[in-house]
Amino acid sequence: MQFSSVAKRLRAIVGRDAVLDRPEDLMLYEYDGGLARSTPRAVVFPRSTQQVVEVVKLAREAQVPIVPRGAGTGLSGGAIARTGGIILGFARMNRILEVDLENQRAVVEPGVVNLELSNTTARHGYYFAPDPSSQKACTIGGNVAENSGGPHTLAYGVTVNHVTGLEVVLADGRVVEFGGKAPEAAGYDLTGFFVGSEGTLGIATKITVKLSRLPEAVATMLAIFHTIEDAAHTVVAITAEGITPAALEMLDGWTLRTVEEATHAGYPLDSGAVLLIEIEGLREEVEEQAEATRTVCLRQRAREVRRARDERERQLLWAGRKNAFGAIGRISPSYYVQDGVIPRTRIPATLEFIAGVGRKYGFQIGNVFHAGDGNLHPLILFDPRDADQTRRAHAAGKDILEYCVSIGGSITGEHGVGMEKDHLMPLLFSASDLEVMARLRNAFNPESVLNPEKMIPLRGCRETDAARHPGAGLGAGATA
Amino acid sequence: MSAASAAASIGRELAAIAGAGHVYEDAQALAAHALEGVTPAAVISPGSPEEIAAVLRLASERGWTVAPVGGGTQQFLGGVPERVDIVLRTERLRAVHHYDPGDLTLGVDAGLTLSAVDGMLAERGQMLPLDVARPGAATVGGVLATATHGSLKHAYGGAREFCIGITFITGDGTIAHGGGRVVKNVAGYDLMKLLIGSHGSLGVITSANFRVFTRLHSTRTFECGFATLEEAMRFRDLVLRSPLTPRCLELVSPYADDYLHAPPVAQNPDETEMLPVDQGSGAWRVLVRAAGSDAVLARYQRELRGGTTRELQGEEEGCTWSAVSEFSETVMARHRNAMIVSLSAPIASVAPALAAAERAALDNNFLLAAVGRAAVGSMILAFIPLLVDPPSAMQYVAAVSAFRGSLPRDASAIVERCPREAKLHFSVWGSSPTDLEAMRAVKRALDPAGILNRGRFLL
Repeated sequence: MQFSSVAKRLRAIVGRDAVLDRPEDLMLYEYDGGLARSTPRAVVFPRSTQQVVEVVKLAREAQVPIVPRGAGTGLSGGAIARTGGIILGFARMNRILEVDLENQRAVVEPGVVNLELSNTTARHGYYFAPDPSSQKACTIGGNVAENSGGPHTLAYGVTVNHVTGLEVVLADGRVVEFGGKAPEAAGYDLTGFFVGSEGTLGIATKITVKLSRLPEAVATMLAIFHTIEDAAHTVVAITAEGITPAALEMLDGWTLRTVEEATHAGYPLDSGAVLLIEIEGLREEVEEQAEATRTVCLRQRAREVRRARDERERQLLWAGRKNAFGAIGRISPSYYVQDGVIPRTRIPATLEFIAGVGRKYGFQIGNVFHAGDGNLHPLILFDPRDADQTRRAHAAGKDILEYCVSIGGSITGEHGVGMEKDHLMPLLFSASDLEVMARLRNAFNPESVLNPEKMIPLRGCRETDAARHPGAGLGAGATA
Repeated sequence: MSAASAAASIGRELAAIAGAGHVYEDAQALAAHALEGVTPAAVISPGSPEEIAAVLRLASERGWTVAPVGGGTQQFLGGVPERVDIVLRTERLRAVHHYDPGDLTLGVDAGLTLSAVDGMLAERGQMLPLDVARPGAATVGGVLATATHGSLKHAYGGAREFCIGITFITGDGTIAHGGGRVVKNVAGYDLMKLLIGSHGSLGVITSANFRVFTRLHSTRTFECGFATLEEAMRFRDLVLRSPLTPRCLELVSPYADDYLHAPPVAQNPDETEMLPVDQGSGAWRVLVRAAGSDAVLARYQRELRGGTTRELQGEEEGCTWSAVSEFSETVMARHRNAMIVSLSAPIASVAPALAAAERAALDNNFLLAAVGRAAVGSMILAFIPLLVDPPSAMQYVAAVSAFRGSLPRDASAIVERCPREAKLHFSVWGSSPTDLEAMRAVKRALDPAGILNRGRFLL
């Protein structure tokens, strides 16, 4: 089928104004928050599950790939049409369908912006706990696809811990339900399995999420250190004390100076590193734990521990952390953000390794990360207009992630594998692990119409699977 | 081939994989591993994931059905199997792969018991929040496969929240692992979620990694009594809307009281009288367990004032929570013909679901005793038969059918235990909100020959 006739039929499904296919419009959808680029053939904006079904059926019939996309804030290329095709944008499916306080649940369309849900429920004393740094823009559908995290996942977990039900459009156009408002039910936990599947198993069109009670008290502290080593040791000392902060973030000296110049958050320019620590909960607990945390920090040679006295000061401290990527964007043509994870006891050695990688490739590498759960975000500053720099930036990133894996860590803590890291999956997973994942993908998406060539490295998986499992697919074979 | 020679062939081929000393074919061993009256042809205890993979590859080729077993504490779950060729025990997989107290992570083999894990973690002041029944026998693999949880689910969630990595063998003998050993990791599909609660129908779990937690210390339990369920639920809602963050919040029905206070000794079920004839205390109780400093406990005292009838601490508190974990076991030790149902409901539907259960019980010659996580929506219901006029198989069917028929939206009920004769007449799993065809596709992908726990799971 000619793509022009596909575009015509897309317009018939979603309306003329909801399809983009002019080159100047498509350029905006070539990229997300990461480095990868790829141009789609069309972008469509459905308004309903039924329209999604019709688009999926058309894409399948025409054998055109289809890639769901929220706000495009992802950092691993998950929402890019790697092999061309149709981008399914969820900007118009952005309604909060139900806020059910009695059951502590909300039902939303995938295009709802993360922060909007918390803002809507805050007046009732509830919020949606997963809070990626992009929460002002990113969508809950995107959070579900990538199993997004954020600074507060140390205490509250990632997106999957806050999703209890899904309505999903499968690759064959069937609309199915996984889970609901109850905590568990008979059958496989396909809700949990689907979250983080990066658009390769189906398209979520309705999402049931848990709402959490807003804490009674919050203490936000900035612990200031002369050296990054002292800050790194403090992270382990805090958890060893039995304290689980809601957030425990670290910025190294170079990064905090860059951030301070942009945001004026009050970070001391002459320090080696800062820890941003937040304790939440019952007033009495917060006071005790804040005091215990201060003691641990001082024992670990913090030169000062500041505590925000009010919400304004708290927001100011957080502004530095949440705007760190933007601040670095001011001084470098581009940066390559890594998302490696390590056991938290290995933070000091890993930071040393990263500094060595910077020297080896001749790049400034900034460190701003979720220290509490060992989720590093080294930012490699480089100029993408220089092909050699680009090549070296990728090589530096690979060195760092290989090191993370070599000490028991992972290649991604919250940004996903996408098209950025699929070639690194064999670092973590054996051929048989990947084959089992490919079998599962093929059970839902046998023709690879949905978000092809993402997450699972292609070669060696699909062929093996096809040979051994000719009956894969939802409609295939007899019931096992 | 006759049944006997087929069985001999299974035993011989299994012995070639794990050694004759780890394959059991004597009548006593086979009888001890019978599932709902269905006796296996052979029992095998492989010594490694590779041996398990070899067993499953062979079984897939031959079409032999396999029932994986951990500590055997939950083999009552599921439908009556049509056939069991091999019972595959994981008891020999007992290694600790890593325990990093500073990282709060642990990696252990599936055959390790929860008591063994707890003992190791306790030395470093840490714990896995899995307060399940019979921890001395229940294994890590079994608890994951059945998604079993206890009262600590209120604060920590179930294993799906803190299992961070898993290794398992698919039905066709492929060794696979998902996740890793760090607390935050989104690389690849979340195979932990798929395996947890899959009841051995997708693969045999051989090891798992966990995030561990600081052990509870300085705890206090506030026992609050109410004349009606509605009052108890209003109190639950007050606690839920308050700033308090208890570790456990448990609802106990009037009839359940007796099973928590009496020691859980096994009696001859056939001679046991229907004990709680006077509804125990007649009160619904809510148990709120707090942990923290004196100031924190004092805050609970103030907030719960008016509701609290008793404060439990020390040994008395520990015994109470053990009794809550062992509730089903205690009921079954006294009443061989009791029916245990696991209810999952949205929070606001717990009360109407309990009322529906009570009606269904009374209409069919049972008394209802209930214990559970009322603030999460996860309750254990015991339908206790009246000894004077024991129910027929059809009365179990009628009770389940009436109960399920009147459940509020999004609630569901799994029959965990009931007499075999009754099980033959209905699905113990009931309905599922999750699409069956999608589940079947997953089953086909991981167990293409359909040999794992055939007939016992939902599909």
